[in-house]
Amino acid sequence: METAAIQTHGLTRRFGALTAVEDVTLSVAPGQFFGFLGPNGAGKSTTIKMLTGLLEPTAGTVEILGQPFGAGALDLKRQIGVVPEGMALMGRLTATEYLHFVGRMYGLDRQTTNLRTQELLEFMQLANESKKLVTDFSHGMQKKLALAAAVIHGPKVLFLDEPFEGVDAIAAGMLKNMLTGMINRGATIFLTTHVLEIVERLCSHVAIISKGRLVANGSLEELRAGVASTLPGAEQEQRLTLEEIFLAIVGGVQESTQELTWLT
Amino acid sequence: MADLGGADLNGLGGAAVVHAGGMLGPLARAQYAALARLRWRMFSNGMRSNKGMLELGARTFSYIVYASMGVALAAGSGVASYFLAAGNQWRFLPVLFWVLGFLWQAIPIMLASFQEQFDLGILLRFPVRFGSYVLLYLVFGLLDISTILGGLCCAGIWFGVAAARPGLLLWVTLALAVFAVFNILLVRAIFVWIDRWLAQRKTREILGAVFMAGLLGLQLLNPALYQKRHSAHSGHEAQAEQIREAKARYSPLLKKANRVQKWLPPGLAALSLREAIENRPLQGFGSLGLLGIYALVAGGVLALRLKAEYRGENLGSAPARDKAVLIRTKAVASFPGAAAAGREAGWALGGLKGRSGPIAAVMEKDVRSLMRTLPLLYAIGAPLLLVLVFSGIFIRNGGAQPSMFPLALPVCMVYAQLGFTQVFYNSLGTEGAGIQVYFLSPTPFRTVLLAKNLLHALLFAAVAVLAGVLTTLRLGTADNAVIAATGAWLLFSLPCNLTAGNLFSLKMPYRVNPGRIARQRGSQANALLSLLVQLCILAVGAAVFSMSWFLDRMWMATPIFLVLAVGAVFVWRRVLDRVDAIAYGRRDELMQALMKES
Repeated sequence: METAAIQTHGLTRRFGALTAVEDVTLSVAPGQFFGFLGPNGAGKSTTIKMLTGLLEPTAGTVEILGQPFGAGALDLKRQIGVVPEGMALMGRLTATEYLHFVGRMYGLDRQTTNLRTQELLEFMQLANESKKLVTDFSHGMQKKLALAAAVIHGPKVLFLDEPFEGVDAIAAGMLKNMLTGMINRGATIFLTTHVLEIVERLCSHVAIISKGRLVANGSLEELRAGVASTLPGAEQEQRLTLEEIFLAIVGGVQESTQELTWLT
Repeated sequence: MADLGGADLNGLGGAAVVHAGGMLGPLARAQYAALARLRWRMFSNGMRSNKGMLELGARTFSYIVYASMGVALAAGSGVASYFLAAGNQWRFLPVLFWVLGFLWQAIPIMLASFQEQFDLGILLRFPVRFGSYVLLYLVFGLLDISTILGGLCCAGIWFGVAAARPGLLLWVTLALAVFAVFNILLVRAIFVWIDRWLAQRKTREILGAVFMAGLLGLQLLNPALYQKRHSAHSGHEAQAEQIREAKARYSPLLKKANRVQKWLPPGLAALSLREAIENRPLQGFGSLGLLGIYALVAGGVLALRLKAEYRGENLGSAPARDKAVLIRTKAVASFPGAAAAGREAGWALGGLKGRSGPIAAVMEKDVRSLMRTLPLLYAIGAPLLLVLVFSGIFIRNGGAQPSMFPLALPVCMVYAQLGFTQVFYNSLGTEGAGIQVYFLSPTPFRTVLLAKNLLHALLFAAVAVLAGVLTTLRLGTADNAVIAATGAWLLFSLPCNLTAGNLFSLKMPYRVNPGRIARQRGSQANALLSLLVQLCILAVGAAVFSMSWFLDRMWMATPIFLVLAVGAVFVWRRVLDRVDAIAYGRRDELMQALMKES
């Protein structure tokens, strides 16, 4: 049996009385492009933080590439790249200086770091802005830089928390190509985003979390079949979009009676 | 199209809508009340956590300290003004006003890390009128420590002058009120403009360069001061002669300065009182009017900046310049310009090259950040000015020959060390969201803090050497035993500070906004507890120095400090070995505190 790239068992996180994530068990195979979806506040970012060591689980275990993952798993950290929720940027550095710093924090030598820094800046179309401080970057530019920092050490597993938020269409297309290339070369990508069209196009497998609990997990076709089977006869035949699947699972359809009548 | 500004958000008819008016109209008043409630809720919600309770305790304590300072300053101002007014020494009154004005403007910088300030920029999304925005900005400014201390000093002067000259009651009230308004507006204007200059790289770098030039310029004063000190004669007669010489030399200069200062705000405030007592009310009103014009100018300068903020200017997030971006849709397989990339990455710590990547990386990154963080540069540099300016008080003229207080060197070193409080005790404060890199990367936290400690130790050594040189130039060479003991004390105090600093940086960090001097959000608990630790370290030093001095065996201090230093280094290493456990145990709180928007 092939070792999972990411494996969780009963992953739980409580903040006082609030249970943000409860009993999440999932498995992501190597080379899979895995979409992790959920409404706002469902627990996506909390889960990704636990998977990447930014947050300690209250209960449950995380395994990355078949090994238990915790704060002290330094060798495993070399194998993963992360674009976290806050992007982890350092405003008082230039883009070049920041990538240079991150590369060396991951143990790359100066020469390799310099080479990859320049390649990544060119690729992300940030080379012309490399002398500008990160704090002066637009949000989209910061996202691209955060993504560059996440891949500078060539990770085998990549965690992306809303990587396309604020990125322009040209850059988004380029990033999709880059991520697909990584998948083709055997990397595993764990992606959270609210842009369902991207998930539908890129991800082979999808999990949906709602109110802290995993409510769906499987390939896109499996989810589609599962939701279709609950529909009346005629509607079962139509091909559901991910948006329809998502809304059907999380129950996000607004009742028409909830209109805000005072809004013009 | 309906006007949303007039929309009835509660669906209860027109009665639920608060209608707009002037800056004191119903809408503005409702907004002031909402803001006051917000401040109260923020305060009371903060009490829900242990950290909040600790902050409250620290804040209460700090306000007691400020109140004591304020009462002492007010009493001093009151006594001084009473004797000046009663003795008809009006020509010296401007000195009091100048000192007051200087304190009013300087205290906010000196106490920047002790004050939590509310950024009113968040109000701009609401329908707040410009007048209301300015009013709120000024009202929140009234809660500043500088304003409170300045106000107390004004009250002191008011009591002093009114007690000595009851007939001047109205005049002194009017003069002090206008002077206070001027100072409140000026201090706000200065900080809001400094913040604006710090918001953009070019102006930030110019400001940094001016600041560094100012520091260097002041240090160049040293040779002049040194020369004068050594040209001093000995003996009482010689001293009297020296004073006569100084009078003759500086008298024209002082007269010129007096002519100029009369036209400046502190001089005008004092002059108006003098003119009133000399029965020249018209001239008195003229002086007050001119002072009022200064206040209006200060207010105008402040309003100019606030107007830009009000219009939505946000220099920190705007792209600095437009550039045509060459769009390339394919990655470059290999880049031949690696050498160029190396050049672009700038300098590197050559001595550490190839030894420890992460340690050198953290040190290089921190040096770059430090050079672009004016508040920290200021914090490190300012105490050197104190060493330069105040070291003169250690020259004793009582004997046959002017001599230096024997322990002046260690005292000056203590001054110099004060600048490192924020650097040592909140070493992660400037990381912001970048703190996540340390948790994501395979570099242990021990390595990160070790690198920071090494850099801070190097900086500390450089500042200590500079302070030593300044003290020697200013006061002459200290006794060898004192030099050795001072060096040994530094070897003891440095690991103590680093140890406590590592713990405080992990347990009560706060975000430092590198682009701001004013409107900085600090931690009272961190500031006060770090002060307490420093006082303990100083107390140990003072005890050993005093004992050695009184026993007339100064050499004893060196071995005692060295033994203490060995112990301190041992504790520092033990704590450093535990920082990974502490950091990972508190990673959530740490990230929340450092990633919080200021």
